[in-house]
Amino acid sequence: MCTRVGKGYIVRVGSSRKLAGTVVALVVILSSCASIQRSWDQSNVEMVVQLVNDGQAQKLAAMSATPFLVDGEIVALKPDVASFWSGIVKAGFRVEGATLAQGVALTDESYKQFADTMEVKSFFAQYLKKDARILELRTATSGDRILLILGGGWPTKTIYGFKGPF
Amino acid sequence: MTGLILVLAAAAQAAPTDVTYTEGDATTRYTSGKQQDTEVGDLLNTGDSVKTGDDGQVEMNQKGVTIKVSHGTVFTLMERELSGQKAPVLSVALGSIKFRYGKLTGQEPLVRTNGATLGVRGTEFTVFAGADGSTLIAVDAGQVTVQAEGKSVELASAEGVEVGLGKPPGDKFVVHSDQIDYSKWNDGKLNAMLADPIAAVQSIQGTMAGYIKDVNDYFTLLQQYREKLAAEQATLAQMRKEKGAAEGDKYAEEVVSPLVSQTINLGMNVRFSALAALSLRRYVSGRLYLFMKARYITHRESSSYVEFLTQFNDMLSSFEESIVPFLVKADI
Repeated sequence: MCTRVGKGYIVRVGSSRKLAGTVVALVVILSSCASIQRSWDQSNVEMVVQLVNDGQAQKLAAMSATPFLVDGEIVALKPDVASFWSGIVKAGFRVEGATLAQGVALTDESYKQFADTMEVKSFFAQYLKKDARILELRTATSGDRILLILGGGWPTKTIYGFKGPF
Repeated sequence: MTGLILVLAAAAQAAPTDVTYTEGDATTRYTSGKQQDTEVGDLLNTGDSVKTGDDGQVEMNQKGVTIKVSHGTVFTLMERELSGQKAPVLSVALGSIKFRYGKLTGQEPLVRTNGATLGVRGTEFTVFAGADGSTLIAVDAGQVTVQAEGKSVELASAEGVEVGLGKPPGDKFVVHSDQIDYSKWNDGKLNAMLADPIAAVQSIQGTMAGYIKDVNDYFTLLQQYREKLAAEQATLAQMRKEKGAAEGDKYAEEVVSPLVSQTINLGMNVRFSALAALSLRRYVSGRLYLFMKARYITHRESSSYVEFLTQFNDMLSSFEESIVPFLVKADI
């Protein structure tokens, strides 16, 4: 619903008062869209972090797409994606006190956040759905950053990639 | 030439490959980049790949050759030029595949792995491709010539040989493919690789350097042939104008057409070497990175990890610089 706001129906408003009212309404709606989006991003981050911290490697693997991106590496095989999640859980990796620094929709340049290579650029172009977003987390303790590529709506989420901590 | 290749007679044309059986998790990736579940009746062509998951199994048929792809395997149909002819190549990047030939025609496709090239005069053999790029070949019937790093070993029935990445074939031994536990063998390879990741990445780098050399050599030749072809095509146009269509046709058939074939073949070999390098990068070095990342994620400052990353990034830079220009988006 939010995405349809502002498709040019302002021109149909007759008076300047109505116009001002419409603009205010648009601003309010857009702001609430942004906050709704942020709230979605926040809940998605919390869910992934919770799974990592609880050692739920199987659930993380089940949510992960194949191919999957880890830093600048394209993981082509499903068992390897599962090995990655179980490996980091086994290594005792936890994301302590993570907060959402930002969540952004994909752009043509998004791939550079993972690696500025032809392979990663092709991965973004070929394997990510349009609704995917890059979510940046910051950990409370070290201030390290972690990037996640997440897509999908409720209730099914898909993790397309992981970068960090860096 | 880099790698281990089982060398079969090489005059065959690339033949479509039919999927005759599937079980469990199996995915086909077409040259277009499209991926879908592998299904009975699918037709695979040059450039297409089949990947099987932990419970996956696929059986295919290519002109009387039965190709049985086991679980955890990556199989790709490739082609290259050999002795002036287009030669199909069956590539095993990871996992294990059993090949069974109904009868030998002298036009059997080549078989390759990340580390070697094979020539086949056998009717039944299995190729195991390990996590570290090693290859294990076991012949059940017939003969297979295993070549790597300029050395070759002839295997007869009930014989096998192992080839380490960047190394010549080892000593042959008596074995039957049924006696080999791929998972156990592969786990051993993986553990050895992780025990000395620096040596592993250096070995990958050495093999990658070989592929890069191949790409550069073929590309240099390709450029020369392109120039030569352009000059001959100009001569042909002039000849048609001055001496007529008949003379032109004769010149085209005798001079220009062979040059066109040679140029196409060189282009094919550039692509073959680049894709072989990509296979090494994706299924050996990429997996090594993944395992190392998981292992060291909580102590990333460890000196051995930092050293590994330095070596790994060096290898990656070479790949980016020399191989990536010959890849296209759909290869990824």
